[in-house]
Amino acid sequence: MDISPIINGFGVVLEPDNLLYCLVGVIIGMLIGVLPGLGPGATIAILLPLTYGVGPVPAIIMLAGIFYGAQYGGTITSVLLRLPGEASSVVTVFDGFALAKQGRAGTALGIAAIGSFIGGTVSILGLTLLAPIVAGFALDFGPPEYAALGVLGVLLISSVGNGHKLKAIIAACVGLLLATVGRDTFTGAERFTFDSLNLAEGIDFVPLAMGLFGLSEILYNIEERHNQVHSPAKVGNVWPSRKDLGRSKGAIGRGSLIGFFLGVLPGGGATLSSLAAYAFEKRRAKQPERFGRGAVEGVAAPETANNAAATSSFIPLLTLGIPANATMALIFGALLIQGIQPGPQLVAQHPDVFWGVINSMYIGNILLLIMSIPMVGVFVRILRVRPAILAPITVLITLLGAYTVNNQVYDIFLVIAFGLLGYLMKKLGFEPGPLVLAFVLGSMIENSSRQSLLIFGGDPTGFFTRPISGTVLALVLLVAVLPLIRKALRRRRPAEEPAGRADEPVEENTP
Amino acid sequence: MSLDRHRSRSLLSGDYRKRMKTALDVRPKLRSTHTTRTPPRGTARTKEKSMPASRTAPRRVLAGVLGTVAAIALTACGGVKTTSTGGDGGEYPSGNIEFSVGASPGGSTDLITRALAQGMAKELGVSAPVLNKPGANGALNAKELQSAAPDGYKLAVQNASLFTITPLTVSPAEATKIDSFDVITGVSRDDYVMATNPKSGYKSIKDMKEAGKPIRYGTTGVGTGAQLASALTFKTAGIEATAVPFDGGSPALTALLGNQVDVSTMQIGEAIENVKAGRLVPLAVFSKERIPYLPDVPTATEQGFDVQVTQYRFLTAPKGTPQDVKTRLLEAAKKTFATPEYKKFNEQNSLTPMEVTPDEVLSSLQSDTATYKKQLDEFGISLAG
Repeated sequence: MDISPIINGFGVVLEPDNLLYCLVGVIIGMLIGVLPGLGPGATIAILLPLTYGVGPVPAIIMLAGIFYGAQYGGTITSVLLRLPGEASSVVTVFDGFALAKQGRAGTALGIAAIGSFIGGTVSILGLTLLAPIVAGFALDFGPPEYAALGVLGVLLISSVGNGHKLKAIIAACVGLLLATVGRDTFTGAERFTFDSLNLAEGIDFVPLAMGLFGLSEILYNIEERHNQVHSPAKVGNVWPSRKDLGRSKGAIGRGSLIGFFLGVLPGGGATLSSLAAYAFEKRRAKQPERFGRGAVEGVAAPETANNAAATSSFIPLLTLGIPANATMALIFGALLIQGIQPGPQLVAQHPDVFWGVINSMYIGNILLLIMSIPMVGVFVRILRVRPAILAPITVLITLLGAYTVNNQVYDIFLVIAFGLLGYLMKKLGFEPGPLVLAFVLGSMIENSSRQSLLIFGGDPTGFFTRPISGTVLALVLLVAVLPLIRKALRRRRPAEEPAGRADEPVEENTP
Repeated sequence: MSLDRHRSRSLLSGDYRKRMKTALDVRPKLRSTHTTRTPPRGTARTKEKSMPASRTAPRRVLAGVLGTVAAIALTACGGVKTTSTGGDGGEYPSGNIEFSVGASPGGSTDLITRALAQGMAKELGVSAPVLNKPGANGALNAKELQSAAPDGYKLAVQNASLFTITPLTVSPAEATKIDSFDVITGVSRDDYVMATNPKSGYKSIKDMKEAGKPIRYGTTGVGTGAQLASALTFKTAGIEATAVPFDGGSPALTALLGNQVDVSTMQIGEAIENVKAGRLVPLAVFSKERIPYLPDVPTATEQGFDVQVTQYRFLTAPKGTPQDVKTRLLEAAKKTFATPEYKKFNEQNSLTPMEVTPDEVLSSLQSDTATYKKQLDEFGISLAG
């Protein structure tokens, strides 16, 4: 491997102008990541004209910075206000918000920042060394593989929650049902749209998640406050302790790898990776019951994974010309405007752009880590604000955020409706997590399996004979059956200690 | 706004209100700098007020920082404020002209709208914010536009397929009608190409026919030109084929590159790089004549299959927009079309200019609708799966 273009890439990045654009990008990214709703996609669309005047390298460096910077920022509202701005940070809410409630928001944010940094960096290393190889791997994933992954994902959801298993399954089913709303991709038939054009494209993730998580929490707290004097949450330590770091070490390492590989898959990679990383840690844990009640690993694993995935989602764009998500589509557009066609020939034709962008990510991640540390202290103070003041502001931000996604007032009502649903669910002991995650995976499972069946000519055995989907489905079986077997074994030997916990056999590598 | 406050504080020193005010003051200047394609420069006033500490930084970049921060502040606040209140009396335009897009940021329609809005804003001397209102393939945005005041302050670039193909797949009540709009001008054509993975060995439509094997083809979704073009091709050629609809161009491309489907029909801009790199073999384009971006690829008609499907876009305003306003908009659009920047934009996105009169747009829409309907009826094809 010829490394001189890589070295030259560093030369490009270290030019003062480019460094500054990188800094500007990550700062903007981090800030817009904090505001739920206005995602990196919309921001890049708005800022696109500003990049016309500068060269391609600084332009793309800045836009990329916005994208991965937003991943850092997104954690903050998930942890502090229970507002996941993107599907990939839903899982972070479980333990992040629990930690914040215990006055350990600083720990959560600190560990997320460190995990994000490591995950991001590992992923860039992977991008530098393996990009062309993993790009091929992404192409091996056709509809059958996505369908199998989706099923695995739904199965993992049931192990994510801490409450009643049955209730989690019911919530997940509701989520799958909600995912069916909208125009059918295959026939164009309207499903549960009640003749409303607003529902024709289905329900958007942002209003759903914001209502079920953020708004419902506020509604619930209002009731709580009636019953007791509510003081602002106490803010304890601002930095993770050595013990926390030790606990998260493994989670961060595994999260990096899971994130890198699943992130390469266009569409849904980031969400799946955070879910898989979380579920994996919970299964490995000696005390899985800590998860959902404020386990640092529960923040470290998904945050590391989604950052690693965000970085590796550049691979399909830069090596195949396939934009993996809406933000990548905009960066694709920005490259086109600069006269550069992203695709297989990009590395050869524009090595300065390719390596410049990749290497800028090393620098950008370092900048983000440096910025995050003081920022954690600042943001954590938000929790010192009295709920009577914080709650209405949060509601306002939530509604505004939902509006900015599609510029539709309709979405504001949707947030309110889901807020009420979330409130009722909380009263009845249902968790919103399984519902939201199943909703995200629902359309992926449905579309992919229908596409697969069309490809197979209606023969479902194809799912099992293809190597990758077959392996994933075997894993599904393993995950589903193993706990039952273990339970049965334990029942047979009630006298013995619950043995075999340390050497759990679920060590199969996640693809 | 409390979060916003933290943001501004942590980034720039100075009182928040003052910051917001300066950010808003910059607005017209900021917009106009967008359009000139020079490096973004904030005003000197803003620079001194809000960021005295960083004088050492290169001016250009610093201005870029300020500009972007201001833009962020604007978007954060812009959501609540409805624009376009101008229009009563005086010469048009006296306020912002809002361009809405019936698709998410990043797609062709979005990029075209942004390029056009930018140029027209410069010509007309006003701001032209672009708002994305995705939903129902653009029908949601169309419905909103048709009920807006016909004063020339709300415009949208719309797709032909919404008027020619979508009505073939949805109920008549839901179909969008071109009668509800005034067309200002045609904009550009975005043609389709059918391509295959080199592993398949096919080089033309005839090859597929002679192979006699059933074909699985990827499309970019139900009710798209890609679906219509492939369905018609396989039917007229008598090839047994199954459609696998994907949600847009990039998953259809991914599936083809991964050899999950035998052929896919996509927009040229989506496929062209992989065609150039030899990872895809183009089989046919569906335009009347060959396309300059792919000069070696024969049209379907040339290969003996009478299939012509094109996607084109045009600028629309609500029905009843005054003639002088339309003339003004047309002039601005024409001047934009003539700029080298805009021409370059078309080339980079593999778009063919179709800057024709409203009447020509209307007659194309009419004849396309009629042709598609006739062909579908003739071959008994239903686009709805």
